[in-house]
Amino acid sequence: MKGSRKKNQPQSAWRRTLRNIAVVVGVFLLYAYAVQVTEIDLRTPLDPTRQETLLNRLRRFGRPDLLALETETQSLNLSLRSPCPEELRGGQISGYGRSLFLAPNCTTTTQDVLTLSGEGFPPNARGIIRWHPPGEEAVARQVAAFRAGLDGRFSVNFTMPDVRVPEGDETQRIEVEEILGQDVTGLSNASQVTINRIIETILMALMASTIGTIIAVPVSFIAARNLMARSGATLAGLMTALAFLPIGGWLGRQLGLTLTTGAERLSAQPIVGTAGLLATAGLFWFVARLYVATQTADAESKKRSAASMWQPASLAALALLALAIFGQLGLPFGEWLRDILGWFGFFGGLIVTLADIARIMLPGILMFIGALIAVSLGSRYGEEINFNVTGTTARLITGAITAVGVGFTAYGVGLFLNWLYQFENLASWTTYPALIIGGATGLLATLIEPRREMPAGLVIYYLMRGTLNTLRSIEPLVLGFVFVVWVGIGPFAGMLALMVHSIADLGKLFSEQVENIAEGPLEAVTATGANRVQTIAFAVIPQIIPPFIAFSFYRWDINVRMSTLIGFVGGGGIGLVLQQNINLLLYRQASVMIIAIAITVAILDYVSSELRNRLI
Amino acid sequence: MLQIKNLTKIYDDGTVALKDVSFEVADGELLTVIGLSGSGKSTLLRCINRLIEPTSGEIWWNGVKVSHVSGEELRRVRRKIGMIFQHFNLVDRSSVLTNVLSGRLGYVNPIASILGRFPKEDLERAHANLRRVGIPDKANNRADELSGGQRQRVGIARALMQEPELMLADEPVASLDPALAHSIMRYLQQINRDDGITVICSLHFLDLVQQYGTRAIALNEGRLVYDGLPSGIDDERFKEIYGQEAERIG
Repeated sequence: MKGSRKKNQPQSAWRRTLRNIAVVVGVFLLYAYAVQVTEIDLRTPLDPTRQETLLNRLRRFGRPDLLALETETQSLNLSLRSPCPEELRGGQISGYGRSLFLAPNCTTTTQDVLTLSGEGFPPNARGIIRWHPPGEEAVARQVAAFRAGLDGRFSVNFTMPDVRVPEGDETQRIEVEEILGQDVTGLSNASQVTINRIIETILMALMASTIGTIIAVPVSFIAARNLMARSGATLAGLMTALAFLPIGGWLGRQLGLTLTTGAERLSAQPIVGTAGLLATAGLFWFVARLYVATQTADAESKKRSAASMWQPASLAALALLALAIFGQLGLPFGEWLRDILGWFGFFGGLIVTLADIARIMLPGILMFIGALIAVSLGSRYGEEINFNVTGTTARLITGAITAVGVGFTAYGVGLFLNWLYQFENLASWTTYPALIIGGATGLLATLIEPRREMPAGLVIYYLMRGTLNTLRSIEPLVLGFVFVVWVGIGPFAGMLALMVHSIADLGKLFSEQVENIAEGPLEAVTATGANRVQTIAFAVIPQIIPPFIAFSFYRWDINVRMSTLIGFVGGGGIGLVLQQNINLLLYRQASVMIIAIAITVAILDYVSSELRNRLI
Repeated sequence: MLQIKNLTKIYDDGTVALKDVSFEVADGELLTVIGLSGSGKSTLLRCINRLIEPTSGEIWWNGVKVSHVSGEELRRVRRKIGMIFQHFNLVDRSSVLTNVLSGRLGYVNPIASILGRFPKEDLERAHANLRRVGIPDKANNRADELSGGQRQRVGIARALMQEPELMLADEPVASLDPALAHSIMRYLQQINRDDGITVICSLHFLDLVQQYGTRAIALNEGRLVYDGLPSGIDDERFKEIYGQEAERIG
C-alpha cells in the first residue's frame, strides 16, 4: 500500500482534492437536512400574535408573586346596556373629583369596541376595569387596566369577554377600580410554599447524595482498573468461589432470619429486650478490649492467630445481635420519643426509620456478607486443591469444579429469567441448561493449564463498569417514573431516583480518581511490608478523600438541579408545585419558584466550586 | 548476605530490563549501582524487595529465597528491607509523622494501624528518627509543604522505622541539587557505617559513586558490565558503561 502510494504522487493529490470536495458536499448536505428536520423557521417567532402571547406571559413571569399585598381602592360604576339600542350614546359619571366617560355605554357583540376615558385622576394613577355581568352571584371579570398620564387623563379601548349572558333587562355595569395604595403584609402564599418546597428539595438532594456517596465508595474501588487488574485467580479457585457463593448467601440469609425472629421473641417484653441489648453491648466491649490487648501485646506469637479467628467472629456476631434487637426495640422507642419530644419529634422518626432499616435489611445484608465470605473461602480452598496435586488429576479436578461452578451460575441465571418472564416449563430453563452448559465448560476446562491465572479482577471490573454505564445512561427522569410507580408520588421516590443516578455517576467519577492516584506512595507503603488493606488505608485513602468530598458536594449541587425535573414526574420537591403552577397558568407564582431554584443552585454551585478549589 | 543468581526480568511488552544478572552483596557494604537511564537499575532494586516480580532467577537473602516467598512471609521479608526513592514517594496530603509511622506498618496490629493508633514506642521512635535526619520540628507539617531535601529526609526516616537490615536507595539524589545530594548521601553513609545496615544505592554521578561507595556494579541494557571497586572505573570503563560518546561531567 505504502509503496504504491508513493509512486503515484500526482494521482494521490487528485484524490485528496476529490476527497475534500466530497467532505464539503457531505457536510453541506448534513446541515441542510438538519435544518429541515429541526424545523427552523424564523417567521413563527416574529408572528405578532405569538409575540404578544409570549410577552403577556413573560410580563407575568416578570412580576413574581413574592409578597402578600393589601390594596386600598375606590371604585366608580357605569351602567351598561346589552344589546345596544338603535341610537348609540355614551354614559358619564363623576365622583371623588374624577370624571369617567364610556362610549358607547352598551354592547351587542364581543367585537364591539368600547372606549373608556377619564380625567381628574392623580398623575400616574393605576387601576383596573371590571365588567360585572347581570345577576347578584355573577363573577366580575377584568377587561382592561388603565394608567393615567401626568395630566391625570387616560383613555382605554376594550371589548367584552366572550361569555354568554342571559337575555333580560337586568343591569350590567363597568366598575373602574382605582388603586390608591398598597401595603406589604408579609410573604405571599406562593413564597411560603416555595420556601417549604425548596427546603424539601435541598434535603432530598442531600439524602440522595449522602447515600449515593456511601454506596459509591466501595463500588468505585471495584470499578478502578489499577486496583482490579492486579487480582487474579486460578480457574479452580474462581469456580469454587462461584459454587460456594449461593451456599454462603443462603446461610447468611438464614442466619439473618433466625436473628430477626430471635430478637423479635426477646423484645416481646421491652424490658427483656433492653436488658439483652445492654448485655450484648457490654459483652461486645469486653471482647473488643480483649482482642486489642492480645493483638498489641504479643504481635509475633502463635496465640494471635488462634485468637484472631474466634474474637473477630464473636465480635461480628454480637454486633449483628445488637442490630437485630435494635431493629425490634427501635420502633416503639422511636414512636415514644416522637410523642414526647414535640418539636424535635423527628429524632424519634429517625430512630423508627433506622430500626426499620436494621430489621428489614438484616437478612439481605447477611446474605451479601455470607456470599462474600463464601467467595473468599471458596477461592482460597479452590487454589489449595491445585497446589497439592499436579498433572491429569489437577486437570480433572479443575474440570469438575468448573462444571459445578458454571452449572450453579447457569441455574441462577435461569431462576432470574423465570422470575422475570414466568416460564411454563421451569426445568428447561434451569436444570437442563445448568447440566449442559456446566458439563460442556467443565470438559473445556480440562484443556486449560490448571495453574494459569485467570483475570478475575478484570472481569469483575468490566462487569461493574458496564453496570455503572448502563445506570448512568438512564436519565433520572426515567428512574423517577419507575420509583413513583414503586413507592408513590412524593420526595421519597425522587430521592431514590436521584440516589441511583448518584451511585452510578459518583462510582465512575470516584473510580477515575482512584485510577489517577500517584503510584509512588503505593509502592513505598507496600515496600514497608504493609498488607493490602493497610496499603489502601495509608497510600490510597489520603489521596482520594479530598476529591471524593469535593465530588460529593458537586453531586449535591447537581441533585438539587435535577430534582426540579424529577418533581415534574411526581418525585416531590419544588418541581412538583412548579409544574402544577405552570399547568394552572399561574405564572407569577411559578416565577417565584424559578427564582428560588436559581438562587439555591447559584449558592450551592458557589459553595461546591469553592470546596473543590480548596480540596483538590 | 544478599545473593542474586541469574536474575532476568522481561516486562509484558517484551522489554528486557535485566538479563542474567548475578552478584553478591556482603553485609555492611555500601554498594552503588550505576548505568544509563533505562539500564535496569530501578528494576534490579525493585526485584530485591519484590515490588517487581522477576521473570526468572533467584534472590537469596540471609538464607531466605526472597524470590519465591509470598503472602505473610513476603511481608516479613519486606519489612526488614527499607527503601527510598528518587521522587521520595511520600503521601503528600498526610502529615510528616504519618508518613514516617507508615514505616512501621509491617510490625503493628493491622486493625489498630488502620484506625490510626500506633504503639507509644513507635511514636517515640518516629520522633527520634525525625531528629536524626535533622527535621524534628516538621512532624505535624503536611508532607507537601516540605522542600525536596527535607522530603527525602522524611523518606529516610520512614525507611529507618522499619529497623532495616538492608536499605535500597533508588537514585535518592537525582531530584536534588548537588549540595543537598551530598547531605543525603552522608545520611546513607552514616546509616551504613554506624548502624551496620547494608545499602544498595543507584546513582547517576560517578564522583558520588567514588566518594561514598565501598563497591560498585554497573548495568548496561540489563547486563552486568562491571563489578568491583568504585575507584576501578577509569575513563575506559566509563565509556564501556555509558557508551562511546559519553563525557565525564562530575
